[in-house]
Parts: sequence; structure tokens; C-alpha cells
Amino acid sequence: MRWVWIALGAVFLAYPWVLAGPFYERMGALVLLAAISGSAWNLLGGYAGQASVGHAIFYGAGAYLPLLVFTQWGLPPIAGLPAGIAVSVLIALVIGIPTFRLLGHYFTMATVAVAELVRLVVSNWDLLGAAVGLSGPAVSRGWWDLSFRSSIPYYYIFLAVLAVVLLVTWQMERSRMGFYLRAIKAGDRAARSLGVPVRRYKLYALMLSAAFTSVAGSLYALMVGFVDPDSGLGILISIEMLIIAALGGAGTLFGPLLGAVILIPLQNATNSWFGGSGSGATYVIYGGIIMLIARYQPGGLMNAWHALQERRHRRAAAVEPRHAA
Amino acid sequence: MRKLVVLGASLLALGLGWDASAQSTIKIGVLMPLTGNAASAGNSSKIAVELGAEIVNNAHPELAPLPLAATAGLPGLGGAKIELVIADHQGNPSVGQSQTLRLITQEQVIAITGSYHSSVTLTTSATAERYGIPFVNGESVAANLTERGFKTFFRVTPLASDFAKNYMDFMADLGKAGHPVKTLALVFENTEYGTSVADTVRTYAKERGLNLVSDIAYSANTTDVSSQVLQLKDKKPDAVIFISYTSDAILYVKTMKALDYLPPVMIADNAGFSDHSFITSSASLAQGLMNRSAWSIGKPGSVTYKVNEMFKAKTGRDLDDPSGRAMQGFLVLAEALNRAGSTKPDAILKALSETNLGPDQVMMGYKGVKFDAKGQNTLAATYLIQMSGNKYVAVWPEKSAEKPIEWPYKGWK
Repeated sequence: MRWVWIALGAVFLAYPWVLAGPFYERMGALVLLAAISGSAWNLLGGYAGQASVGHAIFYGAGAYLPLLVFTQWGLPPIAGLPAGIAVSVLIALVIGIPTFRLLGHYFTMATVAVAELVRLVVSNWDLLGAAVGLSGPAVSRGWWDLSFRSSIPYYYIFLAVLAVVLLVTWQMERSRMGFYLRAIKAGDRAARSLGVPVRRYKLYALMLSAAFTSVAGSLYALMVGFVDPDSGLGILISIEMLIIAALGGAGTLFGPLLGAVILIPLQNATNSWFGGSGSGATYVIYGGIIMLIARYQPGGLMNAWHALQERRHRRAAAVEPRHAA
Repeated sequence: MRKLVVLGASLLALGLGWDASAQSTIKIGVLMPLTGNAASAGNSSKIAVELGAEIVNNAHPELAPLPLAATAGLPGLGGAKIELVIADHQGNPSVGQSQTLRLITQEQVIAITGSYHSSVTLTTSATAERYGIPFVNGESVAANLTERGFKTFFRVTPLASDFAKNYMDFMADLGKAGHPVKTLALVFENTEYGTSVADTVRTYAKERGLNLVSDIAYSANTTDVSSQVLQLKDKKPDAVIFISYTSDAILYVKTMKALDYLPPVMIADNAGFSDHSFITSSASLAQGLMNRSAWSIGKPGSVTYKVNEMFKAKTGRDLDDPSGRAMQGFLVLAEALNRAGSTKPDAILKALSETNLGPDQVMMGYKGVKFDAKGQNTLAATYLIQMSGNKYVAVWPEKSAEKPIEWPYKGWK
């Protein structure tokens, strides 16, 4: 396991020097941002098997608060990050307690409904800029605004946050909570009959997931400097987290990262190559690739990797005895 | 070895030749929503901007009053041609930023125009500002865009305040013609577009001493507006201003017929009432409806008529107001570029700030183009048009009228 961490760390640390140029640097930052939010979603949707399509609420809370503290009091936007986490965890509690009574698809549907409700409320809430949205500092007032022209500072900030998220996930995976969540994923009732405090642990997973999703939202707001109901709370944001985790492998440690590494450059490349023609080819190609993966590798690419490794181990195991003989 | 040298030399020559030819084209970035919720408007604007580039790059003496139309390319830059690099921002502010970065750093564009959505223009122009690249916007109307103190941002389009002022002037003119307007009602959809325009109209109405008797907000997704129409029927305002999207606009004129209500003056604020599907489905129910548009096809033989014919040849339909404003934005940028005589950002910015176009030099119904210190066009204005038969015709101000104003509003009668 250790060599995986070291190798990944080295690759990501070196990336901005390998593929230079502002567009690629920004794409790298976007990959990491998507990996953070995908990994955060993965805590609940992947490990506990509770597929939420309402995570945009937490992303939005994280994105709005930094810009709110800036527009209201002129504070540096980063000051809103902890507030975003607090609000997200609180919302997670309020949403989680009633909706975790629902199972499977009903839970997913409830999260969609709540997220759309929040989007509509925010669209009419003047304090949050209503439908116009909130802007960050147009021109940076100092380093504390974290408003950089280059994407490299963002890249390394995002990389550090991603490392924290992955470390926490890794720790959780091997702890009691990890086993509980996997038991819940395998079967809600079965887990309960084995004495797993199901609703409490689902709630823990949701709160942890909400906190990290909120951080991703705050980082987005810091980099883009603008949020409106569509870009902060739109259903596409929740869906993107889900796709990224599912593509790479939901419920695996590096799955969301792998999903982001594939999906975000793919989005950027198809848009840059085909977007200008206005033919809509961007989405056709993007959708086609997702369909191919869904058809041939529904468990996500990480699962394909694991299956491959297992086959190699088995072959090695089958070969070894002959050597011994 | 000799072969290698020859190869190297020829490659070098090729490279140099490439460089020389590259100097005679100038890259301008165009950001539009070509997919997503505003794809049809974005594609239409893209075609209009491409038509603009065609007019600049080729000799079109028949469009002579428009700057750069008569000559081929930019004479101020040795006849250089403009090459458009078009990028799709999908209606997403973050994608818009990424694409702006790509246009500036990968494609090396020297100026940018776009991006339709006010929200996307907000982020894309901020990126352009950071890189010091001139950004000319022809169509985004959110007031705050020009309030940020940017040095590189210029906006050609009229804003809600210009429209509101025009409505008031129009009603004052009606009063002079013997049809006084003393009471006013406002009906507006309750998201950003409706509420912001309504706020502005309210301020100007107060300034002019109009009595606002009804102030009705509604949701554009509604399926029934009879209570709103009944409220209007009860208050009997001299004029009603509607700020609506398409399906609700159709619903209003149908409900007004069902409830037999006709205000003396009915003004629509573009948007839904200008939509092709409103005109085809409901023109016969809204005879005499006033609307705003900065674009008018004009009389056969006029410059605008010819521009419209060119657009029609490409798309099969008439040029619409938002696409026309986008095209005008591009033409203003091209004119400034030519005057700058250089592709250096500072020279272009200086030329833009010195822009001074008269009413004949613009294709839209503006009084001209002249930017204030914030980069807003101070001469932006709009026409008022009136539904007559199955299309709108320009009726106000008088000098650009194709027909006299019909009063009162006739609706379906």
C-alpha cells in the first residue's frame, strides 16, 4: 500500500512541471477538485451504499459561505470555509434523520427533492444574491484572498486537501466504522440483525461526507470567485460526483481519483476540440465513453484493476506449487 | 548529413513561412453557450458573429456606412484578416473560465467577445482582466458587470435602466399625442430577470410621477394566470408592462382574451414576447402590443435589411435582437482593433476607450457607441416595436418608425 501512496504523490507533485501551461495547470486543479468531491461522496455513496443525488447542497453551502463572508463583511473568503463545514454538517443532520428512514431508491429520490428545494429557496434569497449569485473579490486585495492568477497555488492546495481526504478514508476503511458501513451496504436489515447501529453510522458517514463535500465547494468558490444557484447547487453537481465515483469504482479508496483523472480531462478535451463547432459533439462523445464503461465495467475501473490483479495472483498461485514440486 | 541539413533548413523555412502568414490573421476568441440551456441562442449568436467576421474580412461596399465593411480585412493592420476561435462554455461559469484561459494561453487570442449569460461573462471577463486581454461584451445585461472597476471590460448593449427610460419616454410621447398615461401596472416573473427589470422600471416610474397601481410578481412556470389578469381588470391601469418568458407570455394573452381584458397600452419587455414561438402562436391575440428591440430589419435596401438577408441566407430565418447585439459587440471590437493598428493589449484598450461611432455606423438601434470610464456604452438605446399582423414593426422613436403607432391596444379584436 505504501508504494501506491508514494508513487501517486510523486506523480501529482510533479504534474505541473510535466504538463506546463495555464490551461493544463487549471485542468490539473479541476481534476483534484473533482477527486475531492468524488471521494467525499464516496464515503456515503460508495462505502455505505447510500447513493445521494443531493450532495450539491453541501457543495453549495461550502461555495456560498466564503463568498457570503466576503460580500457581507469584506472578510477574506477562506474565513467562510469552517462556517461552510459547520452549516453542511448541520444540514446533514437535519436531512439525515428523516431521510435515513428510507431505503434504497427512496433515499436517493428524497435527496434529489431536498436538493432541488434548497436550490429554489436560494434562487429567491436576496442575502445569497438570489438568482444572480455571489462574487468574490474581483481584484485580489492581498495574498489572504487566495485569489491567484496562476492555477498552481490552487493545484497544490487542492492536492493537500485531497491527501487529507484520502488518508481519512483509508483510516476509516480499516476501522470499525468501515466494516459497519460495508455491512450496511451489503444489507440494511442483515446489518441491523448483527447489532450494527445502522442509522447512527449512516448519519456519521453522511456528516463526514458533507464536511468534505463542503470543503470542495469552498475551494471551488476560492478558485472561480463566483457562485450562482446553477453552478453551486445544480443537480448536475451531485450527478458529477456520483459519475466520478462510479466510473472509478464506488467504495474503493482510489476509485474517485481515478474517475476524476479520466473524466475531467475528457470533458475538457472534448469541449476544446469539438465545442467550437456547436454541433453538440462534446456531450455525444462524453456520454458515449461513459456508456461504454457502464456496459463493460459496471463496477468501475478500480474493480477491473482488482480483478486483473486477482487473476494474476491466482495464476501465480497456480504456478508456484509446480515450482515447489 | 547533408540530407539532414536540407531537411532542417526546409523545415525552418516552412516554420518561418508559417510565421509570416500567421501575421496576416488576427485571432479573436468568441465564448458562447453552444450546448446547455441556452444552446439555441448561443448558436444563433455564434452565426451572427461569424457573419460579422465575414463582413470585416471581405469587401462589402454595399454595407458601406458600417466601419470596415467596404474594405477587405483590417486596413489599419495591413489588411489582416480576423480569425475567430470559438469556444463553448456550456452555460457554466467555471467552464467559461477554463475556456477563457485556453483561448488566451493556448490559442493566443488578442481579444475576446461573448459570453451571453451574465453569470458566465462575470467569470470570463475576470480571467481576461487578470491577463490584461480586452473583452468586449455585446449582450449581457446584468448591471454589476461594469461596476467592478475593470480596465479591460467594455459593454456595448443597453441595460435595464436604458429600457426603462425608453418606456417612460414613450409613454410621455403618448401623452403629448393626447393619450395620457397616468397609472401603470407591472407584471413580472419572479426570478433574476423579472425582478431586476421590474425594480428598475419602478424607480423610473416614481421619478416621472407615474402612479403604480398594481405590482404583480408571478412564477414563470405557472399554468394559470387568471387571478393576475382579474387583478389588472379591477385596477384599470392606463398601461401595463409585462416582463415574461415564453410560455407564460402566451398564457397571458390567451387568458386576457378569455377574460375579455384589454389595457389601453400593453408593453412587453422583449424575452418571451419576442420569442419566435410566441409570435407564431399568439400574434393574432396581441395586435398593437408594444415591445422593445434594438434590432429592426428596416426598409428594403437599407444596411440592416441587407445584413438580415445575409443572416437569412445562412440560417433561413431573420436575425433576432440578442444575436444582433452580439454581432454589434464584435463589430465594435473589430473597429477598435483597426484603429489601434496594433495587436498589443494596451493599444487596443486605448482605441476601445476612444471609440466614437455615430448612429449610422452601427447596425443596431443605438445612438452610437461611446464608452464611459466604467466601460459601458453611454449611447446604447432601443427601439420600440409594435405587433402588426404577424410581425413586429418599428414605431418609436419617430425617426426610425416604419409605421405610425396604433393606439389603443387591440389584442384579438
